[in-house]
Amino acid sequence: MGLITFNNVGIAGMAAAVPARVINNYEYDLYFNKEDIKEVVDKIGVTERRFADENTCSSDLCHAAAEKLLTDLNINRQEIDLLIFISQTPDYRMPATSVLLQERLGLASSTITFDINLGCSAFLYGLTVAYSMITSGAVKKALVLDGETRSKVYSLKDRKTGFLFGDGGVAALVEGGEKYGRSWFSLNSDGSRADLIKIPAGGYRTMSSCETVTEKVVDEYGNIRSDEHGYMNGADVFNFVIREVPKDFNRLLEYSGVEKDAIDYFVFHQANNYINGFLAKKLKLPEEATPATIHKFGNTSSVSIPLTIISELKDKLDGRKRLLLSGFGVGLTWGTAIIDLNDCHIGDITEI
Amino acid sequence: MKEKLISALAEALEMDASQVKPDDIFRDYENYSSLTELSVLAMLDSDFGIEIEMQEFNKYKTVEDLINLVSSRQN
Repeated sequence: MGLITFNNVGIAGMAAAVPARVINNYEYDLYFNKEDIKEVVDKIGVTERRFADENTCSSDLCHAAAEKLLTDLNINRQEIDLLIFISQTPDYRMPATSVLLQERLGLASSTITFDINLGCSAFLYGLTVAYSMITSGAVKKALVLDGETRSKVYSLKDRKTGFLFGDGGVAALVEGGEKYGRSWFSLNSDGSRADLIKIPAGGYRTMSSCETVTEKVVDEYGNIRSDEHGYMNGADVFNFVIREVPKDFNRLLEYSGVEKDAIDYFVFHQANNYINGFLAKKLKLPEEATPATIHKFGNTSSVSIPLTIISELKDKLDGRKRLLLSGFGVGLTWGTAIIDLNDCHIGDITEI
Repeated sequence: MKEKLISALAEALEMDASQVKPDDIFRDYENYSSLTELSVLAMLDSDFGIEIEMQEFNKYKTVEDLINLVSSRQN
């Protein structure tokens, strides 16, 4: 079914880190003229985004966010039992980046660590795993780290994706406690649509070679990328999202018995401004209840939901607030969650 | 239905409705691009309640094909 209810587990605090380097999209005319750029940027709504430098990985952004969070909350690091690192831009093919972060953050060697390799829906998947392990009783405190350097994945010479993505990292501390109440999740997957968003080469199906890193013109518009760059079939993804995301949204409302009016904020994956605007309109959501960061951080894949909470809701979460989260993308995978934040600590965003 | 579709298609493609004729191959319009295609898909969904797979959408060539699609789904 992919529908899950949890009781008495939740997020104690969150923090984020983004690269200090700001890319102003309208002025970013390395490969395209400003007129063409304006047409794209007006539609996708990404005015600014952040790019990590060549020495900065997703793990570094998550590390900075986690340091901030653990310090803010004055957490004894020996009490962290579980560290999950969510990313599709890990440090290495092996070992898993989560293990490197266990050492860097000074966590005990008894910590359970693993990576989750999923995209835009992954924060919901990561929370579900952390919530489950806490519910099992084996884990008391879990650190969910979620980072992406999408700027390193897509070709800047491909206008279909070259202006969309940005980098960021977040940390969330998950724990048990009666104050958290109930939460509900719906998680889904459709591998028949795996080709819609993909990096074709560089894994073990098509291993790296001189051929796979060679850039070439890929379409009649003159877009250029290699087989180790990501590509996205935007129209197919859009069509899928406007059909399935509202369905899952309503499915979870029905399953949870929660009324739409009882939800304070609807936080969507920041895909692009056009998709997000369309979803909000289709679902008849008030603008003030749908916070957005697409204009200032771009699409940061799995990071965008927690980054939007941290960036836009910091001063709006006093007391108990009910949030609906909706993530969708590569896989394809998609999911919806309804969670309560109860005096959740939100740290200031760190720039590195 | 025909007038409604033509007017909505013209709006999605930022064209004047008088420029849109049933026999036209809509992908040949100068304003048709991967960006405006999203507006066409959004228009079919929100104005006509049509949810469609791209595989099917890609089979439609002319404005008339879209008129027929909309008419058949309405009945």
